[in-house]
Amino acid sequence: MTSSPVGVLADFYEPDTALAAAEKVRAAGWTHFDFLTPFPVHGMEEAMGQRRSWIPWVTGGLAIGGIVFAQALQNYVMVWDWPMNFGGKPFAAWPSFVPITFEAMVFWAALGSALVAIVAGKKDSVPQPPNVPTGATVDRFVLWISATDPKWSDMDAMAFVRSLGAGDTRIVEADGGSHA
Amino acid sequence: MTTAETSPYATVMDDRQLTGYPIVLKGAGPYGGDLEVPEPLVTGGKKWADVDRDICMHAEEFPTRRWWIAFSIALCCLSLLVFALITLFYSGIGILGVNQPVGWGSFIINFVFWIGIGHAGTLISAVLYLFRQQWRTGINRAAEAMTLFAVACAGIFPVIHLGRAWFAYWLVPYPNARGPLWINFNSPLAWDIFAISTYGLVSATFWYMGLLPDLATVRDRATHPWRRRIYNAMCFGWNGSHRAWRHYESAYMVLAALATPLVFSVHTIVSFDFATSVIPGWHTTIFPPYFVIGAIFSGFAMVITLMTFMRGYFGMKNYVTLNHMEDMAKILMFTGMLVGFAYSTEFFMAWYSGSEWEGFVFKNRAFGPYWWAYAIMFTCNAIIPQLFWFKSLRRNTWVLFIVSILVNVGMWFERFVIVVSSLHRDFLPSSWGMYALTFWDYAFLLGSFGLFFTLFLLFVRFLPVVAISEVKGVMDPKVSRAAFEGGVR
Repeated sequence: MTSSPVGVLADFYEPDTALAAAEKVRAAGWTHFDFLTPFPVHGMEEAMGQRRSWIPWVTGGLAIGGIVFAQALQNYVMVWDWPMNFGGKPFAAWPSFVPITFEAMVFWAALGSALVAIVAGKKDSVPQPPNVPTGATVDRFVLWISATDPKWSDMDAMAFVRSLGAGDTRIVEADGGSHA
Repeated sequence: MTTAETSPYATVMDDRQLTGYPIVLKGAGPYGGDLEVPEPLVTGGKKWADVDRDICMHAEEFPTRRWWIAFSIALCCLSLLVFALITLFYSGIGILGVNQPVGWGSFIINFVFWIGIGHAGTLISAVLYLFRQQWRTGINRAAEAMTLFAVACAGIFPVIHLGRAWFAYWLVPYPNARGPLWINFNSPLAWDIFAISTYGLVSATFWYMGLLPDLATVRDRATHPWRRRIYNAMCFGWNGSHRAWRHYESAYMVLAALATPLVFSVHTIVSFDFATSVIPGWHTTIFPPYFVIGAIFSGFAMVITLMTFMRGYFGMKNYVTLNHMEDMAKILMFTGMLVGFAYSTEFFMAWYSGSEWEGFVFKNRAFGPYWWAYAIMFTCNAIIPQLFWFKSLRRNTWVLFIVSILVNVGMWFERFVIVVSSLHRDFLPSSWGMYALTFWDYAFLLGSFGLFFTLFLLFVRFLPVVAISEVKGVMDPKVSRAAFEGGVR
């Protein structure tokens, strides 16, 4: 079978060796690569040359959005649309708007950040291997180099991942099949 | 860190061998001194692949007879709740014990009780996460699930307390055809709606974020194609990509940072339901911290109760070890002392304020007709947790289990004392009255436990009960590496 390969997978068995491999992959100039790991490996972001996640900016923006929404709603209702006199208190009784403002801030920021993080995990990425069990959800740290990488050639990629000391290496086909 | 040769992880093989003290490695320190390393969080010499099997097993096999027995009992209690709800909607609030002057009864007690229990899960996941307490990994998943189910139980009560529950949507501010007639944003009851719903949804998000990698693990272990497809959809096709982990970790940290003040805000707002009123015994500034600490206290008690079951029933002793139980016992004792301190402060302030009404209420709480409720509360919450000064008792799961149950009883009575004792003696003696629970009050209480345990049992049946990926992250790779020598895949 010689259908077009979509990339190469290489197994590592320990976080340390995976980290060392990631450094080498980056140093060798590969860009469309990824590490599939059972848990986040400390230091992997630096090793892979990733920048810090931009999610906190999203959180900050959404938090401000939540604050603005809650303040706008409460002031609109209590001051503008239907002002009512509750025991002689001012219409814009800002201290009593604080709890809902806080809750709305947390609500927007938390749910929004989670959703954006899930989508970003797919979109802000490189082409991923076809959905086949890699062992990365069990106990393997799997290097993936996508065939879309500008440096890609079948022979080079295989030779390179073998030089990293990977345990098991295989070329992956588009249909999910693989061979050594 | 230790080297492979001196690693203590491989030597401690069993839950019973844990001591709760650090392991001292003679001469292993960087300058030749002794090195103290903590005992492993996962015992039994587990490998990464073992974790998958041990934890997913319960979601993959046909449930055991014991699960069915527990589930049947829970379902019976749940059907009692359904029956009580139908009766309530048919007959109205009159079937309950509430009356003048005690217009807030068991529904508000149950509401505060359950929402309090719901606080430990997010505390464990968020606060302990921010403080880098790695022992949280063994218990956070189940504690977060407990939070969700407790909030679900809590959410029922304010709604049915309305009397006409079918108008509950009026509590939500939306443009309507009634004016539009808006809710009163100055009311703490309106804040409650936002606080509880935000808490429920953010806790659910936090829990689900934590579940994503583990759902992928369940998917990869699945043999049936439909099971694969369902779990694949549930984890959004998670494959462990580190480019996804980067955003995931960031979002998880952000969620923890948001959930931490949220935990404190929610019970603060619940306490405002009382504290913003002018009833003696309620109108105090101590209420927010008092409620929050009580919530954490009761929540940890419920976590201990559930973890005892998880250890015994589901064989999780290697993941929820005696050290975990001891840590929780310490938190239980600490929060118990804070609760006791709050009780004492209330009394002191009642005297020191010179307010006649306040003074009467507190004397009446402790020595009035409901003295027994106060005695149960004080004994269970402030005195009994003092047992945990003794290490042997902190590490005795029977003692832990019994104390956790007693604390839950005590915390239910705390809310009983707060709600009932302040109301039953009105300002005018001619308006005084007493409060007693009716059959239906008990039915709702028992029924809410039925709902809680039904949901919890379904959770242990279908989802990984321990955070697999987080547990793997705190295990020693040197032990886990051995997995490959056996060819485990």
